[in-house]
Amino acid sequence: MALESVIIAGGGMAGFTAARQLRDRGYTGKLTIVDPEGMPYDRPPLSKDYLLAKRDATQILLSAADWFTTHNVQVITAKVVELDVDTPTVTLSDGQQLGADKIILATGGTARRLPIPGGQLPTVLELRTMKDADHLRSKLGDGVRMAIVGAGLIGAEVASSALQLGATVTLIDPVDPPLVPAVGEVLARRLHQMHDQQGVSVVTGVPTDITVNGNGVHTISLQDGETIEADVVLVGIGIVPDTGLAATSGLDTDNGILVDESQRTSHRNVYAIGDTARTRLADGTLLRRAEHWEHAMNTGTTVAAALLGEELPAHGASWFWSDRHGVHVEGVGSMLGEGTQVIREVEGIPVAAFRIDEQGMLAGCAAIDGGLMVRAARRIIDKQKPVNAEQLADPTIDLKKLAR
Amino acid sequence: MSNSLNIGSIDDIDEGEAKVIPGDENGTGNDIAVFHAEDGNFYALDDTCTHEEASLADGWIEGTEVECPVHSAKFCLKAGTALCMPATIAARTHKVEVTDDGLVLYPNVAANADA
Repeated sequence: MALESVIIAGGGMAGFTAARQLRDRGYTGKLTIVDPEGMPYDRPPLSKDYLLAKRDATQILLSAADWFTTHNVQVITAKVVELDVDTPTVTLSDGQQLGADKIILATGGTARRLPIPGGQLPTVLELRTMKDADHLRSKLGDGVRMAIVGAGLIGAEVASSALQLGATVTLIDPVDPPLVPAVGEVLARRLHQMHDQQGVSVVTGVPTDITVNGNGVHTISLQDGETIEADVVLVGIGIVPDTGLAATSGLDTDNGILVDESQRTSHRNVYAIGDTARTRLADGTLLRRAEHWEHAMNTGTTVAAALLGEELPAHGASWFWSDRHGVHVEGVGSMLGEGTQVIREVEGIPVAAFRIDEQGMLAGCAAIDGGLMVRAARRIIDKQKPVNAEQLADPTIDLKKLAR
Repeated sequence: MSNSLNIGSIDDIDEGEAKVIPGDENGTGNDIAVFHAEDGNFYALDDTCTHEEASLADGWIEGTEVECPVHSAKFCLKAGTALCMPATIAARTHKVEVTDDGLVLYPNVAANADA
């Protein structure tokens, strides 16, 4: 029987992409997105242009409102609170019950809280939603002392934005430098030093306690006894996938909703995509759960193909980006693992890092302001073309030519 | 406005490459990127990506598409259509002709997508 109705719980990048791809691929049945935040929007700008008020809420929508009308996609502002996988039916926070042939869970996750005293304080902020960004922006300004715990992508980006908003920033991370798994040691060092050069106070340490006094001043205590005072505290240490709904409805979960390579959960009526989905291969192997924008888009595309019985798309090496302190960072494939790391320098400054695996194939590449290099590397990785370390390190060699 | 502009020889832009005709030279005020696509033809789009500030001329040209060098949005060189996220808005096209005198750009004249 042809597919007649689909409900997508969650309208982030994954959920929106699923809807868009279903329509692009010719699906004409009923299509509903349920999200407590309403109209789907893009999250990466929340730590950058949106936080800086350079782009407003309308400008970060994943599609203009008329797209949803034209393509007959209903967006319901509510949360899915119950899921019956057999019928299948969802119950919304407003009491409404909706049934469909297939349900797609694209519920993402929630910001991970610090598991220390004070970690749950309401004034210890997180950045996950547009509302979080609005709140954070309202707290930042000239002379505000901000402390950020976690110097990963969000922490680093907010540090950069907060400086532009006039705040003084302390960036705390237990690791020095952070991001080695993503970009390799050498670029991670250059990126981390950039914080210091821009005037961020970089602290290596482990927070053990956060308190706030009557004037709203926070004190963050570190393991080594150091204390940091801040008016605004933001924690960016990753997310916890939203698996509660899936687990209580009987779906298999393990730090994510377990799905096969077509994004199908342990029940044939329900699929899961984006941050909350974790792939379990046919032999039972669990893959690492991905939390990147592109992964959300890719899994949204895959589920659309799967629901329509089409061939599943091939996605190739994973890719991410980050923008901070006026530079653009990208990574493709994996810098983590066995093999050789090769650095490309221009005038003594490292601009790109590559990992060549033990078979002599390119396995990962990261670059600072080197978009074309990363695009070339991605194609070299996907085509499984052998590479030569000397050529990768030589800044006069155009990687694009090696990729063709 | 249908001014045309001679922008040099076809040999100035290798296949798979692009060059920028600055806004003050092309008269529109916006930089225009002229692409030599892998189908052998020349196409022109507004150079600035419709998503965020980035030069499409610096992008990855493959077939008759260009991929933005910053966030990987892809555009059809023939029609300007945004082919994937994060771009949702099409890039403006401009007509390019190959003549005996070289490449001629018609700023603000939309390309014929079927050409």
